[in-house]
Amino acid sequence: MRVPIAWLRDYADLPADADDIIARLAALGFPVDDVETRPELTNVVVGRITKLERHPNADRLQLCTVDVGSEKTLLIATAATNVAEGQTVPVARIGAKLAGGLTIAPRKMRGIDSEGMLISAEEIGLPGEWFEDGIMQLEPSIRLGTDLIAYFRLTDPVLEVDVTPNRPDALSVVGLARELAASFGVALHEPPVDVQYDVDGADDARVTIETVDCKRFVYQRASGLRVRPAKASMRIRLALAGQRPLNNLVDISNFVMLELGQPLHFFDWDRVAGKHLVVRDARDGERFTTLDDQERTLDARAIVICDDDGPTSIAGIMGGQRSEVEPSTSEVLIEAATWTGPRIRRASGALKLRTEASSRFEKSLPLALADVGAARAAHLLEQEGASVSMPHAAGKPAVAAAAVTLPGGEVERLLGFTLTDDEIERALASLGFKVARPSTSSGQAASFVVTPPYWRGDIAIAADLVEEVARVVGYDRVRAEVPPVAPQDVDSAEFDRETELATTLAGLGYTEAISLSLQPASVAETWRANGIAVDEPVQITNPLSEDQRFMRFSIAPALLGFAARDRAVRPYRVFELGHVFHDGQPEPSETVQLTALHAGGESAFGRLTSDVLALLRRITGADARVERGTFPSLHPGKTAALRSGDSVVGYVGVIDPRLARVYDVADTTALATLFVDALPPHVAPKYVPPSKFPAVDRDLAVVVALDVLAGDLVDAVRGEPLVRSATVFDEYRGPQAGEGKKSLALRIVLQSDEKTLTDEDADAALARIVATLRERFGAVPRG
Amino acid sequence: MTTTGMNSLEENLASLTARFDEAVANAPDAHALDEVRVAFLGRSGEVTTVRRGIGALPPAERPNAGKVINAAVEALEAKLAEALARVERAGLERSLEDAIDVTFPGPRANIGAIHPVRRVGMEVARFFTRHGFAVVLGPEIETDANNFDALNIPPDHPAREGLDSFYLRPDLVLRTHTSPMQVRSMRKHGPPIAIIVPGKAYRRDAVDARHLYMFYQVEGLMVGHGIHFGHLKGMLVGMCRELFGPSADVRFRPSFFPFTEPSAEIDVKCPACEGRGGVCRTCGGSGWIEIGGSGMVHPNVLRSVGYDPDAVTGWAFGCGLERIAMKRHDINDIRAFVENMPGFAEALA
Repeated sequence: MRVPIAWLRDYADLPADADDIIARLAALGFPVDDVETRPELTNVVVGRITKLERHPNADRLQLCTVDVGSEKTLLIATAATNVAEGQTVPVARIGAKLAGGLTIAPRKMRGIDSEGMLISAEEIGLPGEWFEDGIMQLEPSIRLGTDLIAYFRLTDPVLEVDVTPNRPDALSVVGLARELAASFGVALHEPPVDVQYDVDGADDARVTIETVDCKRFVYQRASGLRVRPAKASMRIRLALAGQRPLNNLVDISNFVMLELGQPLHFFDWDRVAGKHLVVRDARDGERFTTLDDQERTLDARAIVICDDDGPTSIAGIMGGQRSEVEPSTSEVLIEAATWTGPRIRRASGALKLRTEASSRFEKSLPLALADVGAARAAHLLEQEGASVSMPHAAGKPAVAAAAVTLPGGEVERLLGFTLTDDEIERALASLGFKVARPSTSSGQAASFVVTPPYWRGDIAIAADLVEEVARVVGYDRVRAEVPPVAPQDVDSAEFDRETELATTLAGLGYTEAISLSLQPASVAETWRANGIAVDEPVQITNPLSEDQRFMRFSIAPALLGFAARDRAVRPYRVFELGHVFHDGQPEPSETVQLTALHAGGESAFGRLTSDVLALLRRITGADARVERGTFPSLHPGKTAALRSGDSVVGYVGVIDPRLARVYDVADTTALATLFVDALPPHVAPKYVPPSKFPAVDRDLAVVVALDVLAGDLVDAVRGEPLVRSATVFDEYRGPQAGEGKKSLALRIVLQSDEKTLTDEDADAALARIVATLRERFGAVPRG
Repeated sequence: MTTTGMNSLEENLASLTARFDEAVANAPDAHALDEVRVAFLGRSGEVTTVRRGIGALPPAERPNAGKVINAAVEALEAKLAEALARVERAGLERSLEDAIDVTFPGPRANIGAIHPVRRVGMEVARFFTRHGFAVVLGPEIETDANNFDALNIPPDHPAREGLDSFYLRPDLVLRTHTSPMQVRSMRKHGPPIAIIVPGKAYRRDAVDARHLYMFYQVEGLMVGHGIHFGHLKGMLVGMCRELFGPSADVRFRPSFFPFTEPSAEIDVKCPACEGRGGVCRTCGGSGWIEIGGSGMVHPNVLRSVGYDPDAVTGWAFGCGLERIAMKRHDINDIRAFVENMPGFAEALA
């Protein structure tokens, strides 16, 4: 909410320094998002044009004799055309500093010394197009010679105050002034609402309410009006608050809304057909022209206020063109209503029309505020010469808020520090709460029975009152304390595992990425178009754009995008650990996946496989098995399934060449995906003491068919009891292996726990191994 | 011949010794010394030749001759050992004078990095686990009941406005905060409970320098007997000292969240200007940085999970991890966290 400090000062004697006010607002829970400083202005006083004459030497200039409250009048030349004798106007004296860096120096205008300048709104830093063309017109009630800058506090900054949605009362100048007055301990001067009601005039307005969402509807007639510009004091406050002044009636309605937080609507009573208003739900498809000249199509979410000719206002949102105030208006019906907040929010959302009024009504205003707002408007209209009839109200009565009990000790229980009962009572009373302290039996902590003021609809429970107390005494009173540790049965296993996965992979040379989880339809479509099966991705029903309509089903596309973008970096190793999403019944689901990518360098696939196996060993405490497998995004013939315990926990492979083309990465790029939820828990491996006897290394080369897997050979070799370890270290394909064959070289370590192996023992073991390999794989030993 | 034979043997030994001494003295290194050893003491070396002369001596002299030769051999071996030690020492002395260009780069290190947002989350977790908190994770797809209703945000609550959410179905959202894990955790575990929840949250924001529609939060929750607002401040001060250094401080400002009452914004004293403000780029001159929201858990939330608000009290907070990381690393565009440019994570690890 845009709040001029100048306006706040109307209701409370606040400190001179704006920074003190800004800091206090923040401490009260109303942080100031922006401070608009005002131009430096000096030496502008109020004057009256007592004589107006033609400039002897210039047709376009007039000479004004201006009374500025001192013995000597000023003679001022002006080119403005809206001047007349008797006008009260702002006068910039010699030496004045004005907006836009203008300084008034003594000068001759066509041979005559001009002793200052009559000025417009623009020269005191207000939007010129919002005010009269020419010299600004002031009300004659301001004493001549008054320092206009100080009088209207025109150099006080204007604040953009952030008001939380629970505090519609603070979406008003008085509301914020009330908070500041309580905090600074100064009096609040509420604006006057007294009216001499006209009890003799016609008072034939009728209002019928046909919707439950109109909670209260206060209305009263004001007649004998003349539409003209509002007083400068009102126009200046509105302009500082960012509201364009229009005429005295519209300005009063806006002024009361900004001042008190109660939006009003004034109907031009002459143009209300039948003098009967009906408040009802709008009908689907009903058409209506609002006062901004837009024709709008309503639906049943809106509430309309109708006269005999149909809708004439959209309740809580915007009035209609048909009964808006116009220059000829002489009589208005003041409407000050209260609506069910959520209903207004839905209606305003449906119409895509959010106004100053709707943004207040949607937060559910207090019923009693309608009466206060109507009375304030009546007071101001009366000052404009209106005669005002008694207010009437339809709907619910404004009942006093229910009292809330604040148990003794509750402040300390929640805040951790002690306040005396008097401090608590003073804090609440300063905000307008009524506090009673019923006597209690001795030994029992006294409770407070607290009645919130009508404007605080947000206060319902004791904790709400504790917050109010804390706000007034200051949140700085809360002392930092280390809490006691209580034993609990919640564990951190998932987090610990994710941390270990990430830190281990980082240690292995991979860099962690975080990519956005939403993506366009094209990702899945491209995979499918390339023959890769993808389940239907999870869809967002209200995306911000088509680029963000679907949840990711795989982390791979993001990593492939980075690998393509960063093609200058090779070898390139990256991983991401996060959720991927699957559509399904009864509802969409998500799993945690880790995807790693290795591009460039020698044997990306081999490196990535070794790294992922090392990772799995670290996480599970056991070696994973490598088997043939297939996985979408990976080359069907170059993919390994990783089995840990009984389940497949991931896949590692060379990228599917069709995707390599799509993402523009090398077709040797390797990808691994681990299903983090499927990883078995870490099991502490058992210690096997090393043998006391020496080991014997033997190399063995065998020729096998091309489809024999190195891993299967090694598994078979490990079946021999004396084998301590076995690895394949070379593969040869060529004439010496023969057509359709390959030669695999194994390094076998033999060792016994019982004795030193002799050459004969080793030879015998190797012979058994060769026999096994021949039998199982048709392997023929080489050389 | 007897004495003559003996004399001649001793002369031979003396001459041999003299030549040996000269050869040893001239030997520059261990290899040359080994050649000397072979030439004199080897199987077919000069000493062997002399030893063969024993056969020509009268039998009575032979034992004495043997002793003389053995004594000479011992002396030669001792000299050789000493010489060997000398050249080794000299060799070591020389090698100490060698030098390499220590600034010449080695092969590129094979070291990756975790993401800076994970790093911040881990540091937060480290602090809280030290104080007995557990770290729990949860789903990103959430029921609107958990994301809103159980947190005291009924369907028409104005606060839903600020939490503009992505919907998958009328009853399923991408969680707009990590707070639904408060609900899930409290339903699963009775009080006392002390947890933090790092994780992703989603809000329907257009992406710009200050907003991502997907971001990380860390949620904190502590409920038990006698837990109050001061304990929240104590833990947050501790957390901020862990993240920003020992002079970090925290202040509370009143605010509004439907699931806490009283509620507070958490400001941390600007780590760059240490609260002095002025022309500080990190805090924009206010001296304080807003890092999240907090408050005492609303009685309605406690009731919705089956806790008794008269028996237990508790607090909760939520902070943006990117926001903390931005302040720690002087990053002014939040998009850097999801761009994953080469070197970004490595530089901040």
